[in-house]
Amino acid sequence: MAKGTTIRMWRRTIFVLVVLIAVGFGAIIFSLARLQLVEGESLQTRAVDQQLKDTSISAQRGTIYDCNMKPLAQSATVWKVVLEPAFITDKNREKIADGLSKILGMDKNEIMERSKKKTYYDELKRKVETDVKDEVLKFKSDNEIGSGIRLIEDYKRYYPYGAFAASVLGFTGTDSQGLYGIEKQYDSYLTGVPGKLVTAKNAIGTDMPFQYEQKVEAQNGSSLVLTIDEVVQHFLEKNLQEGVITNKVGNRACGIVMNVKTGAILGMAVKGDFDPNNPFTVADQTEAAQIAAMPEGTAKNDALKAAREKQWRNKAVSDTYYPGSVFKMVTGSSAMEEGVVNENSTFFCSGSIKVSDRTIHCWRSYGHGSENFVQGLCNSCNPVFVQLGERLGPDNFFKYFTAFGLTAKTGIDLPGESRSIFYTAAQLNPVELATESFGQNFSITPIQMITAAAAVANGGYLVQPHVVSQIVDADGNIVKTADTTPKRQVISTDISQRMCKILQTNATIGTAKNGYLPGYRVGGKTGTSQKMDVFQKTGTMQYIASYCGFAPADDPQVAMLVFYDEPHGDSYYGAAVAGPVFSRTMEEILPYLGVERKYTDTELAKLDVTAPDVVGKTVAQAKADLVKIKLTPKVYGSGEKVVSQVPEPGKTIPQNGTVVLFMDDSGASKTATVPKLVGLSLSAANKRAADAGINISISGAALTNGNNPISNSQSIAEGTKVAPGTVVTVGFIEPNQVE
Amino acid sequence: MTKTKEKQHAAPRGSRKAEADRDTKEPATSGIRKKFRIFSVRSGMDMPFLFLILTLLVIGLVMLFSASYANAYYRHGSSYFFISRQAFFAVLGVAAMIFISYFDYHHLHKFAIPILLVSFMALALVLFTPRINGVHRWIDLGPLGQFQPSEVAKFGMILVFSHLISLNFKRMDTFRYGVLPYILILGATVGLLVLEPHISATVIMVILAGVMLFIGGVRLRWFGLAFGGAGAAVAYLVLFTQKFSYANDRIVAWLDPFSTASKAIMEDTWQTRQSLYAIGSGGLLGLGLGQSRQKYLYLPEPQNDFIFAIVCEELGFIGALIIIILFAMLVWRGISISLKAKDKFGMLLGIGLVVQVGLQVVLNIAVVTNTIPNTGISLPFFSYGGTSLVILLAEMGIVLSISRTSAIEKT
Repeated sequence: MAKGTTIRMWRRTIFVLVVLIAVGFGAIIFSLARLQLVEGESLQTRAVDQQLKDTSISAQRGTIYDCNMKPLAQSATVWKVVLEPAFITDKNREKIADGLSKILGMDKNEIMERSKKKTYYDELKRKVETDVKDEVLKFKSDNEIGSGIRLIEDYKRYYPYGAFAASVLGFTGTDSQGLYGIEKQYDSYLTGVPGKLVTAKNAIGTDMPFQYEQKVEAQNGSSLVLTIDEVVQHFLEKNLQEGVITNKVGNRACGIVMNVKTGAILGMAVKGDFDPNNPFTVADQTEAAQIAAMPEGTAKNDALKAAREKQWRNKAVSDTYYPGSVFKMVTGSSAMEEGVVNENSTFFCSGSIKVSDRTIHCWRSYGHGSENFVQGLCNSCNPVFVQLGERLGPDNFFKYFTAFGLTAKTGIDLPGESRSIFYTAAQLNPVELATESFGQNFSITPIQMITAAAAVANGGYLVQPHVVSQIVDADGNIVKTADTTPKRQVISTDISQRMCKILQTNATIGTAKNGYLPGYRVGGKTGTSQKMDVFQKTGTMQYIASYCGFAPADDPQVAMLVFYDEPHGDSYYGAAVAGPVFSRTMEEILPYLGVERKYTDTELAKLDVTAPDVVGKTVAQAKADLVKIKLTPKVYGSGEKVVSQVPEPGKTIPQNGTVVLFMDDSGASKTATVPKLVGLSLSAANKRAADAGINISISGAALTNGNNPISNSQSIAEGTKVAPGTVVTVGFIEPNQVE
Repeated sequence: MTKTKEKQHAAPRGSRKAEADRDTKEPATSGIRKKFRIFSVRSGMDMPFLFLILTLLVIGLVMLFSASYANAYYRHGSSYFFISRQAFFAVLGVAAMIFISYFDYHHLHKFAIPILLVSFMALALVLFTPRINGVHRWIDLGPLGQFQPSEVAKFGMILVFSHLISLNFKRMDTFRYGVLPYILILGATVGLLVLEPHISATVIMVILAGVMLFIGGVRLRWFGLAFGGAGAAVAYLVLFTQKFSYANDRIVAWLDPFSTASKAIMEDTWQTRQSLYAIGSGGLLGLGLGQSRQKYLYLPEPQNDFIFAIVCEELGFIGALIIIILFAMLVWRGISISLKAKDKFGMLLGIGLVVQVGLQVVLNIAVVTNTIPNTGISLPFFSYGGTSLVILLAEMGIVLSISRTSAIEKT
């Protein structure tokens, strides 16, 4: 027998070898093939799931511009301070917590605790300004902290004008999501698409050094170009706010300025609004103090919530009201269009009218007597419009009511638009029809009212009110442009033009004359509506004073609605409360918008003149020049020739005004004190101004054929020291004007 | 003994082998002196086998570096922590291997019983060391790192079995000489291993012993008896004792490594899951050398038992297959060498050592791929471990020594 391998050993060894190779190696190769080739993809997906981490990259929210590209809302870069506990060692933990707590004003112990978390990402503080970021960076470099604190770019919303156009703009929440106003309505456009930074991480969550990094850039949000004009908005807000104070308005006010041809909203203001930079702060200080004084608890929280919701609510689109007499322009237009009335149709007002079994009173209890349609509208005579409603009948009345867009939302691109409440044709029995004819008994929103008024003015074409004219993407491409084509024609162009003339008459000599502006051909209608719902609840009658008008009446361009809810001043009538605000605002925005003044002869006779240049002339010459154009010279000093004059050459000066001539340098020290010029008749105001040695320029109702205008505003405050001869503009209204 | 061996070997095996023949013939002319030579260079060693060892060793070192540097960096502060140590032991091991290949393996007859006794002592000693991960498995050799007595025990058993079988070859069909001594040795070894506990080593020991006895000519009926007895014992332990609860948990984890049933199971299967993720991520072609993601602390200790998962992730199925084929070739070549060894001692010793390598490869990759439950088996030439690498290379040196007198063609 051999010493080496026997046959049996051979056989058995080969058996072992075959088993080892075939079964053993075969099995592991089979397993590998299954795992890598068959299940590979799904295992890889699971592996990648745990290996990758997403870091969100904020997208910059789009800017909101006014129509002249002035930014009204923009996002600026701020910073997120992020703790990376995985990188913080026990050695530097204390130092980091201490440093950060000081810079960020946070609790040190809290930072200590959070730095011990088993994670690599813990947001410490958001929306940190750049100066704080720099402090953190300095702290890092000073203490040679390489990792453990990270700063990530973020954005914060700024409203550079503060409490301005707040109801339109709305505001954003902490994550820059739009919560109210345009910010909410156009949130999807403004937001953009956040980017992603996908990096590989190891099992403890820190970055893996192998090259896997995928960056999906954030897509910045689109910007909006509004139809709002910052200048128009500014004038509107200023005058609206003044009115709120003078008239002791209890439940906020709103004003809308609209381009009647396109539906573009040039200005929309709510007073009793908020600062979108701090939307959660109650802006009304009295209310804020009341809430602050309340004991902690549900009641306080509820009060706070209610106050916030109130200030955020956009009255112009969310509140409904009885439009009152303003609505008469709609009834009048409808009746003229249907041919049931014309300018010369005659009516008789006895002070009331009987409809079915009800007696409906005119606002003037003793009646207007015999009047034609134009006079009826100028008088805002209820019985006239009750008769127009009767003549139209429920079906026609409702047809026009619908056509003027009062049954449906206007579809303005702002959130929270309310539905109107009204009777359908079938529900309109005579009494309801009669009351609706003069604007009571149905509720619409201010935006619906001005849209209907714009249709009356704009050749009968009903336009789509809107606040955004263009959406521009981050690369500057125009994504969307507002459609300004009219929705439909409600009344004929002829009727529209005739109605404009009637409303112009109304704003010149009628109940709406407080909206009058010389040269601007204003057409308008006042409204005073009773808040029946409040009366039924509390027993006290509250009013809404409104004025709706447009200019110029021969080619209407701009319409404006001013609306005061619950005025508690000297008057609650639209004519006295809203009219002056309307005219003052129009006086400022019409020249800005480039609407030309065209004076009638009557207006020309009362127009201001330009002060001639008499400097350097002798006293005699100067006096002669001034007298020639009916100005009164007043001489100070004893020089040979005129050294200076007030008003200066080229300045406007009322007719029959005084020009002060200084013959030596003493003029610089001479002053006059502006006297109290409000609450006076035209002649009294003139006299007081002359006594004080100043000039007055009159505006408002005193320029028309008014009865008893009384001044209610002066451009320079009482008691101010001014140079003699300075021109103070004094506004006049017809205080007793009702309706 | 040596004289007769030479005769068997004297026949020329082809013209190309002239040099090898001369080497084998040379010592024959001075047979007397050879008796006293520890080193008996009779012939060249088997070059294909050496080449396979060195190839696997180099690939193993490269992969160890790739798999370990992230872990080394995070745990030890230096990316080179593992590779520098392993490279040192590799050089030491290769030197030992070459040195031992010149050593006449017949001298090992004399060492068989002493080494067995040393391994018993080491296995007993390890039971008094502090537990690491709940088991007594390592003896700390200070600067030389940790050392597993089971490594020595495996060698000791292979050696003593080869020794006894070759001496009692003709009586292998008897119980007294063919079964009893081996049962006693195996029983003692397994008993000590179970106390550690060290299931994987136990399994390897039992299979190795079976293979050696099988080849050594033990009657098949004893195997039937052994399988029956082992089955009954395992069934008893699993069913009626808590001893194998440790194994039971692993079996639960094995059946569904993605189970989210309990936190304990999820923690238990973490390693297996991460291994499967790594293997799956590799796909056909792999992520590329050095590109593993799972080695970034996902796969615990990627330099140890689960290194092959990283190999699969980086080199893909193709790369893994090539490595498995290299191992298979190593086994094949080693067995071929052994079959042509000039005596039964060399044959059995060679087969024992080579099968041990093959068995470890199969079991290791089976664990990594979750083909069998997770148990600690290192991958030869790849897994980190200085002493075990040196022992492995020394064992390969013995195979090379056998190859010097083997009748195999050595190119």
